[in-house]
Amino acid sequence: MSEAVRLDGITKRFPGVVANDDVTLSVERGTVHALLGENGAGKTTLMNVLYGLFPPTEGDVYVDGEGLERDDGGGYVGSPERFDSPRDAIDAGVGMIHQHFMLVDPMTVAENITLGNEPRKWGGLAVDRAAAREAVVDLSERYGFDVDPDATVADVSVGVQQRVEILKALYRGADVLILDEPTAVLTPQEVADLFEVLEELTAQGKTVIFITHKLGEALDAADEVTVLRDGRNVGSVRTADTSREELAELMVGREVMLESDYEPATPGDPVLRAEGVTASDERGVVAVDDVSFTVREGEVFGVAGVDGNGQSELVEVLTGLRDHESGRVELRGRDVTDASRRDRARAGMAYVPEDRQERGLVMEFDLTENGILGSQHDEPFARSGRVDWDRADDHAERVVEEFDVRPPDTGAEARSLSGGNQQKFIVGREFARDPACIVASHPTRGVDIGSTEFIHDRIIDLRDEGKAVLLVSSKLDEVRGLSDRLAVMYRGRLVDVVDPDAVTEEQLGLLMAGEEPDDVPSLRGGADDAADPPEESGGTDAGRTDGVAGDGGDRE
Amino acid sequence: MSAGFGSRVRERAGGAGLRLYLALGVVAALVALLAVLLVAPDSTAGQFAAVLFANSTFASALRLSVPIAFAALGGIFAEKSGVINIGLEGLLIIAAFAGIYAADLLGSPWLGLLGGVAASTLFALLFAVVCIEFRADQIIAGLAVWLIALGLAPFAAQVVYGSTNTPRVATFATLPTMGIPVVSEGVTAELLFGYALVDLPFFGALFSATPMVYVMFAAVVASWWTLNRTAFGRHVRASGENPKALDTAGVSVSRVRYAAVLLSGVLCGFGGAALSLSLGQFIGNGPTMVDGKGFIAIVAYLLGNYNAVGALLSTLLFAGLDALQLTLQARDVIQVPNSLVRTIPYVSVIVVLTLFGRTRTPDAAGDHYESGEE
Amino acid sequence: MSDDGTGGPDGPDGGDPGEGSDAGVRGSVVGWLSRLARASAAERLFISGSALVLSVVIGFFIVLAAGRMTTCDTAAFALPPRVISLGPVSLGPFSWPASMGFCYDPINVYDRLFLGAFGNLAADPLNGQFATTLSETTILVFTGVAVAVAFKAGVFNIGGQGQLVVGALSTAVVVFAVAPLLSGVVGTLVLVPFGLAVGAVAGGLYGALPGALKAYADANEVITTIMLNFVATAVALYLTQDVFQDPDSFATQTRALPSYARFPSLVFPDRAGVSLLALALAVAVAVAVAYTLTRTSFGYDVRTSGLQPEAAEYGGVDAARTVVASMALSGALAGVGGAVYVLMVLGNFQTGVPDYGFDGITVSILAGNNPVGAVGAALLFGVLKSGSIVVDVGTNVPPQLVGVLRGLIVLFVAMPEFFRMVGRRVGDVAPERDRGAVATDGGERE
Repeated sequence: MSEAVRLDGITKRFPGVVANDDVTLSVERGTVHALLGENGAGKTTLMNVLYGLFPPTEGDVYVDGEGLERDDGGGYVGSPERFDSPRDAIDAGVGMIHQHFMLVDPMTVAENITLGNEPRKWGGLAVDRAAAREAVVDLSERYGFDVDPDATVADVSVGVQQRVEILKALYRGADVLILDEPTAVLTPQEVADLFEVLEELTAQGKTVIFITHKLGEALDAADEVTVLRDGRNVGSVRTADTSREELAELMVGREVMLESDYEPATPGDPVLRAEGVTASDERGVVAVDDVSFTVREGEVFGVAGVDGNGQSELVEVLTGLRDHESGRVELRGRDVTDASRRDRARAGMAYVPEDRQERGLVMEFDLTENGILGSQHDEPFARSGRVDWDRADDHAERVVEEFDVRPPDTGAEARSLSGGNQQKFIVGREFARDPACIVASHPTRGVDIGSTEFIHDRIIDLRDEGKAVLLVSSKLDEVRGLSDRLAVMYRGRLVDVVDPDAVTEEQLGLLMAGEEPDDVPSLRGGADDAADPPEESGGTDAGRTDGVAGDGGDRE
Repeated sequence: MSAGFGSRVRERAGGAGLRLYLALGVVAALVALLAVLLVAPDSTAGQFAAVLFANSTFASALRLSVPIAFAALGGIFAEKSGVINIGLEGLLIIAAFAGIYAADLLGSPWLGLLGGVAASTLFALLFAVVCIEFRADQIIAGLAVWLIALGLAPFAAQVVYGSTNTPRVATFATLPTMGIPVVSEGVTAELLFGYALVDLPFFGALFSATPMVYVMFAAVVASWWTLNRTAFGRHVRASGENPKALDTAGVSVSRVRYAAVLLSGVLCGFGGAALSLSLGQFIGNGPTMVDGKGFIAIVAYLLGNYNAVGALLSTLLFAGLDALQLTLQARDVIQVPNSLVRTIPYVSVIVVLTLFGRTRTPDAAGDHYESGEE
Repeated sequence: MSDDGTGGPDGPDGGDPGEGSDAGVRGSVVGWLSRLARASAAERLFISGSALVLSVVIGFFIVLAAGRMTTCDTAAFALPPRVISLGPVSLGPFSWPASMGFCYDPINVYDRLFLGAFGNLAADPLNGQFATTLSETTILVFTGVAVAVAFKAGVFNIGGQGQLVVGALSTAVVVFAVAPLLSGVVGTLVLVPFGLAVGAVAGGLYGALPGALKAYADANEVITTIMLNFVATAVALYLTQDVFQDPDSFATQTRALPSYARFPSLVFPDRAGVSLLALALAVAVAVAVAYTLTRTSFGYDVRTSGLQPEAAEYGGVDAARTVVASMALSGALAGVGGAVYVLMVLGNFQTGVPDYGFDGITVSILAGNNPVGAVGAALLFGVLKSGSIVVDVGTNVPPQLVGVLRGLIVLFVAMPEFFRMVGRRVGDVAPERDRGAVATDGGERE
């Protein structure tokens, strides 16, 4: 076997940050190579260097899809690549499938694949659409892809869109394919399909590098894994010769800690109740389908599921940001189905939104101004229509202090804070409302480990103060670790409500894929009204031991 | 992003239905009026229908369509590529003056047309540089183009001719009088039942128009082809929907956008010069002779759903209403003050925009794009 | 994706919330607003100042060019002969063998434009030209603040002209109808505020209409407000001509209001058409609007929905209602401008209202949409408008020059990036700074 890609001592510095520090990476031709690491470990930066998006500060890039040649002394024949743009990388046979697809939604599959390299006829006066279509059909057949070249991209599933991206790279002659977090948006079934596609590609001599932070996937799909931590290569291992534990330790750089078990909850009266809630997404497709549940005082009710299965829409209906079609929502016994967002907030509903930069904060406002977002008409910050900025500032000061927001400057613009600190500020602001109920949607998304643990502890504190918490997250270990009852959402339906301590990972995975595994520790069937939390059952800790603290938990 | 996109997808579906109803409604109204005309020609409705189906009404509708249709085509190219060109009005104004100035200087309406196109393209270049190079806000920059033209054209007219209205220059001949062998004679020759093509009821106007009307039809076809059948057209669409996809495919987004905006300048040049040269004079007081046609063009292409042919049909609708109000005023059929009748096109634009306001705009329209940004 | 990517090294997702996420006009305006909001006050002042200077410089050359295009007996301005040649080849445009003459003298034009507006202040501080300057300023404060309010809510109100016309006509007609009921000082005390209120209500309703169309039917406000300008002008013409025409006049105008129904001129002579009271009111309104925007809950709602509609929604703001409310407020301010025009300047309504609405856009943009800054920008524009009359009388340069300058200023303020680039090049600030920071996290977003 020979190498297809060799990155030699790559260092990439940005002002103030070293994103990659002397990384050497070697990828065999015809293999799948996983680049594993936590968020911010420098994986994507390294691949962007290989794809010509950034020039490396130091180091050399060698690429040859047919395998690099070495001279007798072990040096490489030929000079290293100089990629000034992705165009150069594409010409050298490198293709990248970005996490956010680079597709033109209203165009067809064939139009997207041939974009920029359209076959032409009549002296360039027209695109030869038949030839384009044929080329796409040929390629799909060769690699066993099942795509309709005439379908509009906006109408096909995410899994198919990903295949279109792969075909696009292949159409342009890529021998080395880079996939950035390819599974983030896929269902477990689609993930399995993708891995088959990767196998087929490597069987035909293509080389695949895929970026992931899910170690289970790295183990499943790759022949070799390189782990990055803090911008450094901390080890390359063959998957055949390694274990989960070893990889986890490499990733986080310390003995993986067991996530602390929180005390079980003591639920009280119902606070938030949904009954037969049905709502549509922007396309008019039913996104939330007849969902019913109750969240009680002093418990965390978790909602798990692959992103895009209606969780966002459900949260928006509950918080008053989205119209529902049928069903009702009750808050502390009061029907708030038609109440506005403001009314619900006043009735005691706090809300940590999924998207902190679009919803949770006004980026141009400073923290003092952001501190009253949602309370700008309410005592004590507003009196007879006037805002009391002194009080608002005191308030922001308290939140900053209590939640250790840095820099501790209430005059700083929200956009100047890091993601983790922005999130801490939002959580602090919402928790400070002293609400009866908190709806927290992905409260630790994109947040560093320290802040994640802090936010988790605060959620449990609130629960223990007797608040009702609705927690939506796609991080399995997060929802399992924090929830007292765990619902799984699939295609808009709550497929089951289970005991998070008793359910196995496999069972959860199947539930999230819409299947019905056997022996699920379901709490359904009157469970909605069950006052007692499930007993802590023995032997469930095993399910948690391999939970990598932070964000490693997206394994399915 | 998903929310915005989704809502637009839904509206696209809704908009298509609405457009169909609108088209059916217009056709039904026309048929009904035609029936009234045949059955009761002396009633008010009958007189109204007579005005509507007059050869001269269609003729002025075609004439009024020219600037709007050209500007609408220009707007489609620019906006499809991701640059909202709200300065169409300004480009029309500049071309209208430059057309007269060049025709006056060079002595031919055709050279005048060339001058108008050159001036408008130059202005479009300025707009493109400001938007693409200097990342100006497109709406405000477009507005600035309008305001500059609104000041500059009358200023220049004042400087050169001593008045905001220019003296008259030679205009385009019409098809029957152009002296094109065979064609000019053909349309005036008595063919069937002693009728010449130009004498056909209503449609006769099609055979006695100025050359710019035919250029307009040709431009519509050429624009449609360019956008839908050529590689450039695809790049324009991709640049407006997802510039990053185009960029990563190795096509320069700013080059595509420059080309599209310049093309909008060329097209507006035709429209503006045709407007003034068909009258033989530039009128520069108040909102100038362009009088909002650039803005009506924007609504026309929105209503036409960014399709060149759709834009032409919408243009004919607006221009038809305008022609109708002009003829109504001239013939004194209905006793409504002229100043109120004059608002018909503007009000219809507002109504149309209210019904079709949720047209799906290109995803990246209005956004600046910088290559290589992550 | 971030436009200028100032996200810190540890701000992994420091993208722009407004941009890229929201297509079309609103996204664009919001993007520009947020870029503007990020600029410091000093930077904004620098951008506005540079835009002004650059416009004046370009205007200089336009005047020169125009001076070559027209004909005259004696040159008003001349460049001495200059011959630059490379060997036998003379450099055409940079070289002229004889003195080159221009029919217009740009220096004189600018002198008249800027200084003429003040008249001879030393001899007569209450001179007519200065009075005109202040009267123009007063009305421009109203229209400028009107545009600024809408801008702050993320709405681009180009309909100030129409709202002003509607306000002016309503005031002229309603006050005329009511005036006979009162007289004297009492009449003034009651009728002037009443007239302003009428203008506010009429303009407010006419502004709320496109606001509602935008909020509930998604009709682009830029287009609807421009169309409504045309409609307002046409309808006002009809109403003046056919319904409220002054029978004793050949001009298209309504009947004159009694003098007690107008603004008392106080300091200036009665015929000057300016009242310091109205000017004071304009300044007070600008301050009040600034206070409302920064110190009240309503202002918080307006600013939030202007900067980040999604966050506003999250914060319990009813986006649609805020759009309608701010457009109504904007229209009301323009309507009051129209009322002041009638009660202070004309004394009746006449068709052919000057472009106060469009100048208001320039005033607001020049002031960075700051209501208090709009007072300064309005004064500048008052000078230009008044000066253009002096230019018209005192030179033979067409007064439309001011219209060109207006457009140029808007154009340059719209491209702050240009001045930043120039500033960077001059100041030799490392250009790397902006770009690298975004890339740091290499898109490790989830």
